[in-house]
Amino acid sequence: MLANYLPILLFLIVSIGLGFTLLVAGKLLSPSKPSAQKNSPYECGFEAFEDARMKFDVRYYLVAILFILFDLEIAFLFPWAIVLDDIGVFGFLAMVVFLLVLVVGFIYEWMRGALEWE
Amino acid sequence: MTLLSVVFYVLAAVLVGSSAMVISVRNPVKAALFLVLCFFSAACIWITLEAEFLAITLVLVYVGAVMVLFLFVVMMLDIDIVQMREGFTRYLPVGAVIAGIMMVEIALVVLSGRFELDNVARPAGQPADYSNTRELGLLLYTDYVLAFEVAGLILLVAIVAAIALTLRRRPETLYQKPSMQVQVKKSDRLRVVDVPSGTRQGDVE
Amino acid sequence: MDWMIQTWQQLPVILQLAVKIGLILGPLILSVAYYTYLERKVIAYMHVRVGPNRVGPKGLLQPIADVVKLMFKEMIQPTKSDHYLFFIAPVLALAPALAAWAVIPFSDSLVLADIDASLLYVLALTSMGVYGVIVAGWASNSKYAFLGAMRAAAQIVAYEIAMGFALVGVLMAAGSLNLSAIVQAQSGGIHQWYFIPLLPLFVVYLISGVAETNRAPFDVAEGESEIVAGFHVDYSGMGFALFFLAEYANMLLISALTVLMFLGGWNPPLEIPPFVWVPGLFWFLGKLCIVAFLFLWFRATFPRYRYDQIMRLGWKVFIPITLIWIGVIGFVRVFTPYGEIFR
Repeated sequence: MLANYLPILLFLIVSIGLGFTLLVAGKLLSPSKPSAQKNSPYECGFEAFEDARMKFDVRYYLVAILFILFDLEIAFLFPWAIVLDDIGVFGFLAMVVFLLVLVVGFIYEWMRGALEWE
Repeated sequence: MTLLSVVFYVLAAVLVGSSAMVISVRNPVKAALFLVLCFFSAACIWITLEAEFLAITLVLVYVGAVMVLFLFVVMMLDIDIVQMREGFTRYLPVGAVIAGIMMVEIALVVLSGRFELDNVARPAGQPADYSNTRELGLLLYTDYVLAFEVAGLILLVAIVAAIALTLRRRPETLYQKPSMQVQVKKSDRLRVVDVPSGTRQGDVE
Repeated sequence: MDWMIQTWQQLPVILQLAVKIGLILGPLILSVAYYTYLERKVIAYMHVRVGPNRVGPKGLLQPIADVVKLMFKEMIQPTKSDHYLFFIAPVLALAPALAAWAVIPFSDSLVLADIDASLLYVLALTSMGVYGVIVAGWASNSKYAFLGAMRAAAQIVAYEIAMGFALVGVLMAAGSLNLSAIVQAQSGGIHQWYFIPLLPLFVVYLISGVAETNRAPFDVAEGESEIVAGFHVDYSGMGFALFFLAEYANMLLISALTVLMFLGGWNPPLEIPPFVWVPGLFWFLGKLCIVAFLFLWFRATFPRYRYDQIMRLGWKVFIPITLIWIGVIGFVRVFTPYGEIFR
């Protein structure tokens, strides 16, 4: 089994290497004449009043947390999906119970308006 | 030394090095990115142990999801580094004690002889068509079904807790209700007024 | 011919693999370059314009000229940016988009790494693509870039859920995580392809794929009329080129996955001559072109979605649809004798 992962390891190294090679090549081949105006952030032309990294709506955190929870749910579904024939009715019902619990959570967040985006 | 051990040592070095960077680098965003590298190298080491499904799930869940949340938080929370460093000397004794206790605990477990290579054998090499995921599935939904359902409940608690902690609906914001938009009929919005000829606009009504 | 095969087999394994990787990456990057040309041409004709037609016959050398231009263009590094992260962000975007191709089976024998959990591997790598976007947006230290990155990240994660649930349906039908096995389970003609029994999941997957790659009509992350170009607004020259490359490689990857999981991969539509005379590789590439064309068609046709509409579609429409369809498949498979429909 491990022999199959050797090409993947190589492929990863090659793709990362290719990315860096292209970047460095671009850096070396292109002219570099920096100036204060050119290197200012691409905004409206004025000097920015404050740091661009600002506080953000808490809604984004909520989306990220919900994403983690559903991602875990999917991770549980994957092995179940491929052994569905072997685990029979019992395994199917185990997943039905699991999903029902999470559907309750999903309905709760829907009703509370956690999925609204204004 | 086989290729496998070379790969292992490289991955282990990256793992240890990036963990050191996580706690030593100043910028919290960079610390989070080094943590991503940690998870990724750990996943690669798991693959060398033939734990294919767990390794890829580690990348999928921790790198693909949990660390995205971490990055969101550290990027958007305006952490004041100067202020945090002021407390450094004040918390140093407590931190040192906790770190010392943890070191002792780890040493006790690791030096107990339970993790010697004689006790824990390398997993046997599996043929290429061996499905790690299938084996896991056969056990998880039958023998360990109780733990599986408890995991579901924990996820439910997490959903409720996340919403209770972060959801603040502001009453002044306006929403659109797509179902109402779709259900709107011509008669709700439009009224055809029959204007007889020869009358002015204000005469009807 | 024999001596060639013999010398090939005598080469060290690492060298053989390097050649194979080159044989995948080379054509991939070339097709990405010509995909951009195709995009400009197709959209131009849909708008009743001509499109690029100056460099070479019919403008065919346009992508080459673009590459040369980007190569020699100054790479601006904004003063306030974080220099290291600003430099590696394009690599973080590109590397996963390319590395995912390691497990794609091009035909029944042409696959570089035939690992058992290949579908999971692709999913894990595409989920890492979001780092390029986030890191670029943060490192640039520009408001447009930051806003674009946050929008893109929230959108990508929302649609990844829908995509994952759609994949669960495919796994239930095929009973394997291996992409080659999923294609083999669809052999026997067009009526066996999964897009028929799994039609809702197919539609959800395709649309989520468009949203995942931040393409029109879901391109609010770039939204040129609001935030200029989103997360890569401060990139120029090769840095910009790598983001561009990553985006188009991802589009081709999503097309390839759609073909493998729903459109029968390298299987011909009918198992009779003359269809079976055509090699599987050509069927695969032909179908890939059709799906890749859809991306361009969408861009030329649909107006951009508003952000709240995008989030609503991902969370409130796609997730319920996929969950219900998974339930239907499971119920039919376990409790009724008609389970063969979903196989």
